[in-house]
Amino acid sequence: MATKILSVDDSRTIRLIVGKAFRPYDATVIEASNGEEGLAVAAREKPDLIILDVTMPVMDGVTMLTKLKEDPALKAIPVIMLTAESGRENVLQIARLGVRDYLVKPFKEDQLIEKAGRCVTLEKRPAAAPAA
Amino acid sequence: MSQTIQVPSICEFMNRHLVDVFETMLSMKSVPASSENLPQFEDKVTGSVAFAGDRINGAVYLHLGTAFAGQVAGAMLGLPAEELGEPEVNDVVGEVTNMLTGGLKSWLCDSGAECAVSTPAIIRGSSFMIEPVPDVDREWLVFDCCENRIAVEIHVKVS
Repeated sequence: MATKILSVDDSRTIRLIVGKAFRPYDATVIEASNGEEGLAVAAREKPDLIILDVTMPVMDGVTMLTKLKEDPALKAIPVIMLTAESGRENVLQIARLGVRDYLVKPFKEDQLIEKAGRCVTLEKRPAAAPAA
Repeated sequence: MSQTIQVPSICEFMNRHLVDVFETMLSMKSVPASSENLPQFEDKVTGSVAFAGDRINGAVYLHLGTAFAGQVAGAMLGLPAEELGEPEVNDVVGEVTNMLTGGLKSWLCDSGAECAVSTPAIIRGSSFMIEPVPDVDREWLVFDCCENRIAVEIHVKVS
C-alpha cells in the first residue's frame, strides 16, 4: 500500500514541490492549507507522515502540532517541520513538542526525501513500461 | 545572546541569503550588484513580508519584472513559464519573499532581536513606489540574475 503523506502549507507552491518530490515513490501526497484543515485531514486520512509549515493563517503549525500530540489517535504520526524559520529558540520550542525532524527553506527535494525516508518506507515506483 | 542590530549587517545577511535562496530553490545564479542605479521595471510583481518585534520592525519587498517573475515561478515548479497563470506566479513570488524574510527572522532572533513574520502579500503594477513611514530606514539591494535584475527593498526600524 502506498505511503500516505500529508503536506500542510498555506503556500500552494510548497505543496506542489512536496508533491513533485514524492512523485517517483510509491506515495500519495494529500494536502491542507492551514493547521485547522490539517488536523481534520489527519483525523480522516490517518497519514503515515505529516510535513508541516509553521507560519500559516487560521491555525499555525505549532498550534497544529500541539493539538496533534494531545490526540491519542494522531500523536504517533511523525511530523517533519518545513519552514523558513530556523532561529535557535524557534527550533528548540518545536523540538520540545515532539517533532521528528526539521527542514529549513530553502531546501532541495532530495533533502526532503532523505528526511522522510528516515520516518517512513519509501519505495521507488516501478518504471513505466515502454509503449508497444 | 543580545547585541545591537546594525542595518548594514542586515543588508550583508540578505545579500548572502538571496543568493542562497535563488541557487537552492531555483537553480539560478544571482550576483549582488550596485544599488546606485535601481532597476526600472515596466511591469513588476512585488512580494512583501513584514516582521515585528520589541526591538525591531520592518518589511522586506522583493521586486521582479513580470516576465522574470514568470521564469522564477517556472523554475520553482518545474513547469514552462507560459503554462503558469497569475495565481501561480503570485504564490511563488510570495513564497520566495517568505523564505527571504524567514531567514532574516532567524538571523535576527539568533542576534537577540526576537520577532514574528507576517504571511506574504503581492502587489502587481507598473508605477507604484512604497514609501517608508517616518523614522524607518530604507535599504536597496540589487542583484543580477539570468540577464535580469532583482531588487530587494528593506524597511527597518531598530529600537
